[in-house]
Amino acid sequence: MIDVILFNLIWVLPLLVMLICTPIPNTYTRAIKRIHLSSAIIVLGIAAYLTLKLFLLTSGVSPSSNGSVFSLHFVTQVSWWNAFGAQYFIGADALSLLMVLLTSVIVLTGMLVSWSIPGNAKIFFALIQILATSVYGVFMSFDLLLFFIFYEMEAICMYLMIAGFGSGKKDYGGKKLTLTLALGSSMILAAFLGIYVESGINSWNLLELGQVVFPMSLQMWAFPLLFMGFAVSGSLFPFHFWSPDGHSAAPTAVSMFAAGVMMKMGPYACLRIAIYLMPEAARIYLPYLVYLLIFNVLLSGWIAIRHKDLKYITAYSSISHLGLIFLGIAAMTPLAFRGAVLQMLSHGFLTALFFATIGMIYSRTHTRDITQMGGLMRVMPFIGVGFVIAGFACLGLPGLSGFIAEATIFIGSFQNESSLMRVVTILAVLSITVTAIYVLQAANRMLHGPVSPNSFYSLPDANFKEKVTIVILVFSLFAIGLFPNWISEFIDTSISPIYTNLIR
Amino acid sequence: MIPFFIPDLLLLLLPFVLITTRLFISKRSQLPWYMAHIGLITIFILLNFIPVGETQFFLSNWKIDSFGILMRELLVLSALIGISFSKEYFNYTSDFMPRMHHFSEFMGAIIMATFGGVVVVSASDLLTFFLGLELATIPMYALTAWNKKDSLGSEAATKFILMGSVATAFEIFGFSYLYGFSGSMHFQEIAVRVLENPNSPLLWISVLFLLSGIGFKLTLFPFHTWAPDVYEGAPTPVTAILSVSSKAIAISFVAVLVFGPLHGIKEQMAPFLGLLAGITLFIGNLGALKQYKLRRFMAYSSISQAGYVLLALLGPRETAGAAIIYYLFIYAFSNYLAFFIFGIIERNRPETFNSLRGLSRENPFLAVALVIALFSLAGIPPLAGFFGKFQLFFSAAQNHHYFLITFAILNNVLALYYYIQLIKSAWVDEPDPSLFRLIVNLRQKVWIVLLSVAIVLGGVLPFFINNVFKIITY
Repeated sequence: MIDVILFNLIWVLPLLVMLICTPIPNTYTRAIKRIHLSSAIIVLGIAAYLTLKLFLLTSGVSPSSNGSVFSLHFVTQVSWWNAFGAQYFIGADALSLLMVLLTSVIVLTGMLVSWSIPGNAKIFFALIQILATSVYGVFMSFDLLLFFIFYEMEAICMYLMIAGFGSGKKDYGGKKLTLTLALGSSMILAAFLGIYVESGINSWNLLELGQVVFPMSLQMWAFPLLFMGFAVSGSLFPFHFWSPDGHSAAPTAVSMFAAGVMMKMGPYACLRIAIYLMPEAARIYLPYLVYLLIFNVLLSGWIAIRHKDLKYITAYSSISHLGLIFLGIAAMTPLAFRGAVLQMLSHGFLTALFFATIGMIYSRTHTRDITQMGGLMRVMPFIGVGFVIAGFACLGLPGLSGFIAEATIFIGSFQNESSLMRVVTILAVLSITVTAIYVLQAANRMLHGPVSPNSFYSLPDANFKEKVTIVILVFSLFAIGLFPNWISEFIDTSISPIYTNLIR
Repeated sequence: MIPFFIPDLLLLLLPFVLITTRLFISKRSQLPWYMAHIGLITIFILLNFIPVGETQFFLSNWKIDSFGILMRELLVLSALIGISFSKEYFNYTSDFMPRMHHFSEFMGAIIMATFGGVVVVSASDLLTFFLGLELATIPMYALTAWNKKDSLGSEAATKFILMGSVATAFEIFGFSYLYGFSGSMHFQEIAVRVLENPNSPLLWISVLFLLSGIGFKLTLFPFHTWAPDVYEGAPTPVTAILSVSSKAIAISFVAVLVFGPLHGIKEQMAPFLGLLAGITLFIGNLGALKQYKLRRFMAYSSISQAGYVLLALLGPRETAGAAIIYYLFIYAFSNYLAFFIFGIIERNRPETFNSLRGLSRENPFLAVALVIALFSLAGIPPLAGFFGKFQLFFSAAQNHHYFLITFAILNNVLALYYYIQLIKSAWVDEPDPSLFRLIVNLRQKVWIVLLSVAIVLGGVLPFFINNVFKIITY
């Protein structure tokens, strides 16, 4: 009982805090920020507690025992629009709780790094809370309409934050991001309507719809629409173009959020909804996905090598690593699915760390061009080490989370017996080398050598809040990297229903 | 429970009472304005007491059903908000907004047009039907030219009258063929004839002319070109009422036709309706992309909204009725909210996007309300506008028009682009110090808050209604 209330609180609390803070006048900005920060800490605490509880609950259960239905916990299910069978239906399994945990860490660290954001901080923090609400909602809801509402809310919020608080071509970047994501969600809504009407059960409940075998006439058009709609936010090739401009224009916290969490919503929903609902079409279409992945995984890595702007490098690196997630999905083996989920978590933390350190560097040096700076390791060692650890996690150094995730994906997708899949997997392994090139090149030019403009000697190292941010994120990277076993088994409990449905 | 004709009768009497009262009071008195409010609120409350259920007939050409009652409520509410909105335009004068006169007659004309809408939704024979549509349109011609000295207004009214008369001629022609085909004025008998002989060329000529005629009033694709000029030239409150009440009346005209006398050939008409809807919403969206004047922009936005509403008619009667009513209510709220904000801005600023610059710094209250209004019009969840559009798509999906729905939903991205354009002016651009300060009075604040709350809660409300007992006993 108390757990259910706590679980609901995860998405209600940010909204409530936002509403409470609205009437407080702007002169109390410090207090407002503290209220927001403490709410983020509370949500992180709740998420961690519930994850631990669920972990202990499921640790003895063998993953295959629950068939093709998600075993949900902390469920709230009440009616909402009776006219078309929509419900307020939220719950959690391992996958969604882990994503919620990731989100809550990034909300907390995002607030810490934007503590001294220029402009109206009250509005900025309120928007972060709305963004947090919508992303929590996406990961928690198991009713398709509810899911869609949260999904679309988040894209709109992004525009206001990027255009209002960003840098550079902020209006352009914000519009590009939001309109592309809106294009994706339009495709999703159209497919959802088709799914609802053809199922004939007057329900948007994901678990009930998962038991319906949809006619192939629907699946053949709805699955590509749905999958590509979700893949837009996962920046799958031809829809990757929003990501570099969007990320580079966004303020630090939003970049962290977009790359760390929002881009994971796409693959999450592909697994959870598209593949789960329409496995027959998935078996037909997913093998063709690998052609798109060649761009994602390899070419975007090459593009990253040529870029000089730190945020563009990281954005293209994200596209490349998101490609690995989709590789895991396209391989359609349980191990590859597990690897995909691990990569979602791992990349979420490491890219947040990337963008956080880049934001800290940018706020001091006022440039993101790696050729314009050098020797920063000497003046700001703490931030420099944070950047290097993120880079190592990114290129898959054993001991950090990236290695676990990528190795699982490669092994899993090599298990798929089609020779095309194996060739693409071998090509994808090369992406590690490409990653190493751009990460090391950036770190080398920026962090080592003589301190290049002399004015940089006076720059301060990380302050307390920034240190906390870096420590939290680095800790998460090591936690996954050094103890992969517990998290892998935990993930398998929610992967197995999807896989069972896929091979039905 | 009250007899169903009482509210209608009151609505018919109200304009005459207002105009007569003005003869006996001083020019500066605000009495008619208050009387109009009291009258409309009374009518709105009385409408809620009419027993909803069976369709009732009165003298065989006047019927009352739940669709009719809800449309009455919408129209009365729209007239009430419109009248409340227009007060500024009769009390003040500025460079950008010349003062208008004869407020009582103005209100009388609005209420007359509203009564015309009531006749349209109640009619059950062709003659009454036509009468209602004309009663709803003719006052709008006068209202468009209310500002006699404004040359743009006169131009707009001339265009409107010429176009409108041609449209009326088309409708009369369509009606005459429909009568010639069926040999009866009454809807039920026409419906029987249509079922008997659905492929008669006479019938299809009549349908073609009827659709063209109403296409003018609903601003459907090839007949939409008058709208931007008229919306720009008319006084702002008239634009608001044109975009809400007139649209609502026109769409209910189509709904009554499609689900009444022409129900037998609805399946054959569906491709045409779908094509009209698709092209209209696309053209409206394209037109709005490059606008920079607020009311011209709203004109194109309302053209595309008309296309969206038409989608609902592709579905079965029950879902289409519910979807249209819900959508029109939310559309009315969002549109009036936007117009309230534009009204405040154009009182002493030129009427372009530039006048919105820096609104979020100068007046965050208005800026937030603007975001709510525009995102609701664009159909962004969790605002009610999303649920409105969702129901329209839902209704069309019932009859498996997936291709059209996908097209319409993808078009929403275009719509989002131009609504974001406005929001960018208000939230991102730097303030322009040369602009006059905005003046917001209490009445405007109250309406803005009420409409915003209605839009925000419109989608969530069913949740609370369904679960209020569960939450209390939790």
